[in-house]
Amino acid sequence: MKKIGIFDSGVDTPEEIILAAGFIPLRLFGDPTIEPDKANEHIPPTHCVWTRNLLEQAIRGLDKDIVGIIATHGCDRTNREFDIWLKCINLDFMFFLNSPFKRDKIALKFFIDDMKELIAQLEDSFSVKVSSEKIKEAIKLMNKIRSLLMEISEFRSKMVLKGSEFHALVKEVQQIDKNEAVKLLEAKLKEMKTKKPTINKTYKKIMLTGSDLDDTEFIEYIENLGFQIVIDDLGIGTKYFWNRVDENKEPIEALAEYHLEKPIHSTKFPSYERFDVIKKLAESYKVDGILNVAHKFCEPVLYDHPYLKEKFKELEIPYLFVEVTYNRESYKQLSTRFSAFAEII
Amino acid sequence: MSKVEKTHNKMLNATQGLKNIMGRHFLAIEQAYRDGKPTAWATSGSPIEMLYAMDVQPMLPENSATVSAAQKFSQKFIEIAEAQGYSYDLCSYFKTNVGAVSSNASMLEGGTRKPAFMLSTDVICDTHVNWFQVQAERMKVPHFSIDVPHVVSNTTNRQLHYFKKYISEQLYEFIDFMQEVTGHEYNEEKAREVSENSWNLSMVWQDIYNLRKEVPCPISTRDTFGGLFPLFTMPGLKEPIKLYKRMYREAKQRVDNGVGALQNEEFRLMFEGIPFWHSLRFFSTLEKYGAIIVYEPYTYAFSKYMNPNITKEMVLDKPIEAMSELMMSFWYVYDLETRIKKFAETVEEWKIDGVLLHENLSCRPNSCGLYDLKKHLMDDYDIPCLVITADMNDPRKFNAEQLSNQIESFIEILSKRRN
Repeated sequence: MKKIGIFDSGVDTPEEIILAAGFIPLRLFGDPTIEPDKANEHIPPTHCVWTRNLLEQAIRGLDKDIVGIIATHGCDRTNREFDIWLKCINLDFMFFLNSPFKRDKIALKFFIDDMKELIAQLEDSFSVKVSSEKIKEAIKLMNKIRSLLMEISEFRSKMVLKGSEFHALVKEVQQIDKNEAVKLLEAKLKEMKTKKPTINKTYKKIMLTGSDLDDTEFIEYIENLGFQIVIDDLGIGTKYFWNRVDENKEPIEALAEYHLEKPIHSTKFPSYERFDVIKKLAESYKVDGILNVAHKFCEPVLYDHPYLKEKFKELEIPYLFVEVTYNRESYKQLSTRFSAFAEII
Repeated sequence: MSKVEKTHNKMLNATQGLKNIMGRHFLAIEQAYRDGKPTAWATSGSPIEMLYAMDVQPMLPENSATVSAAQKFSQKFIEIAEAQGYSYDLCSYFKTNVGAVSSNASMLEGGTRKPAFMLSTDVICDTHVNWFQVQAERMKVPHFSIDVPHVVSNTTNRQLHYFKKYISEQLYEFIDFMQEVTGHEYNEEKAREVSENSWNLSMVWQDIYNLRKEVPCPISTRDTFGGLFPLFTMPGLKEPIKLYKRMYREAKQRVDNGVGALQNEEFRLMFEGIPFWHSLRFFSTLEKYGAIIVYEPYTYAFSKYMNPNITKEMVLDKPIEAMSELMMSFWYVYDLETRIKKFAETVEEWKIDGVLLHENLSCRPNSCGLYDLKKHLMDDYDIPCLVITADMNDPRKFNAEQLSNQIESFIEILSKRRN
């Protein structure tokens, strides 16, 4: 089955539309084991390390089944980089989805218009019909996935499921056939229900926030230093299954509403609302501390950090901010900071 | 003729009047506080005309940040912001503003006062919105932001139609916001007057720019870098139009007399990006090579009425709709494909020998795509290009010696192409 690649620093791309058009949505992730040599010819070295890595992979060659790319607006590098993708990648279908940075009614109308345009262009390019019925079916399928992930996610705070294992699972779901994903998640849930807590109880329970970290080895690295990620507000995490899309509404409107109502990314406005979400989750899950990790040069996360730091200081909730380059060797340099954080909390 | 010769190799006499005009802008801000008139911070690319139309005094922190840099205060302010936790990698205008406000800097140092409200837009860069979010929260003032959808190289006309509608709806919402915050009513007549002044100001600026096509070029960056500020801060007022007309007349006189801004014009260059306000002397050093910058997309971009679909009648009769379309077609943020074509056309029209591309460490949206722009200009159009890595407001990221060596080599290349 053919696939549509998703270039999205958040999770604002309506996968249901891609499914309704008859494709597998495949979110693109980075590979920290490669150097962005070719991408460096297009993007300056002081720009987002993650998107540079994605471009590198795209230039080297994407999955052979990918027939198109949807790039969704995250920060204002994404539209500029999309233009570079247009120059470097030879695919028939390339669409930039202007996920609005505001979240009011006017933005909602605009997002609906942009999704309709996406549908029109998919229909034109691939001679397919993306009917409301098919989108509704896809919404049901995705809601099933969301419900399963919501349930499985809870086993992190029960100390049954490692944060890294869950991270890998969400990543896999974002790349495979969604019917296969349902089977995978049902099996995982069944397994979880029979398992007892095996994670070391002395591990510090933390919440993870910041850039949409996609290297599961980084999560494992944190765990090995004595932490368990019990909750997060990331795209490879709770933002992907925050709520359910309303199955009774007009489907495109329901999708747009769903995406604008879920917790805000640092790339959207007002990103300071992130504080309320993080605080609520941190309290609900009784975390020992909050870990805010920014990819190097991830400006939106860098802007929010001093505000979050101050707010969590007022609440006396331990908070650690670190910047990471997209290179596994660099993780080791962070061990002292993580160890000090573990001692504080 | 003798009068003209005196101006030779120097800025236009008329440009000296800029100090008065900008002085009046800062006095108007002080007066607004004394009179209790509402004030607003606005980011570049915002519809400043709408503030004037609603009798709100605009203040542009970016403009203030350049003052800090020119007065050699920016590094101090940037370091204050960094001590507050703002990364070394963030926008230096933003950090200059944070440091200046935190240390209660005077306007002469680049400080700026607490406004009644803030207006931001991501038309140029989303970090503008982040910046004002930080400061609006600190100052406890309302903040309105305008989301401008991003036009990319394959955006269709059908998309532009609903993009424009989205912006218009927000602009009408902004009027409601201003009415609520200030208690002022929207006055169509006043909006028309402001729009007309803005249009006229931009048209004279474009006329000035057209004179720069002449060989030798009558105007250098000594006139345009500073000359830009009225377009930026006062679109909608009458006073700067008079100044621009004086600049135009003087430049025209130079053209008529065959006199250039530079005594021996050898090489005509284009400079892409925001200048390094802390080290403007760099631009004068080009003169020793007989090189003059004859076009800067940055300073031209602010004469916003460049979209051929937008007529004066539209600007006067339907200012909101016209503004909505203009906000999507701002020269500084053209999509890559349009940017390449526009550069190539400009190089031809302005008879440019080479292009300097400022990879600005503080402006990632602008520097993203710069390498491809360079590649296509060189490979497809045979236009020599040089990428310069620096920062508009942070002198720590400016290596004068390295830059000097780069320029020397670039000029050598241009010389060889002549032979």
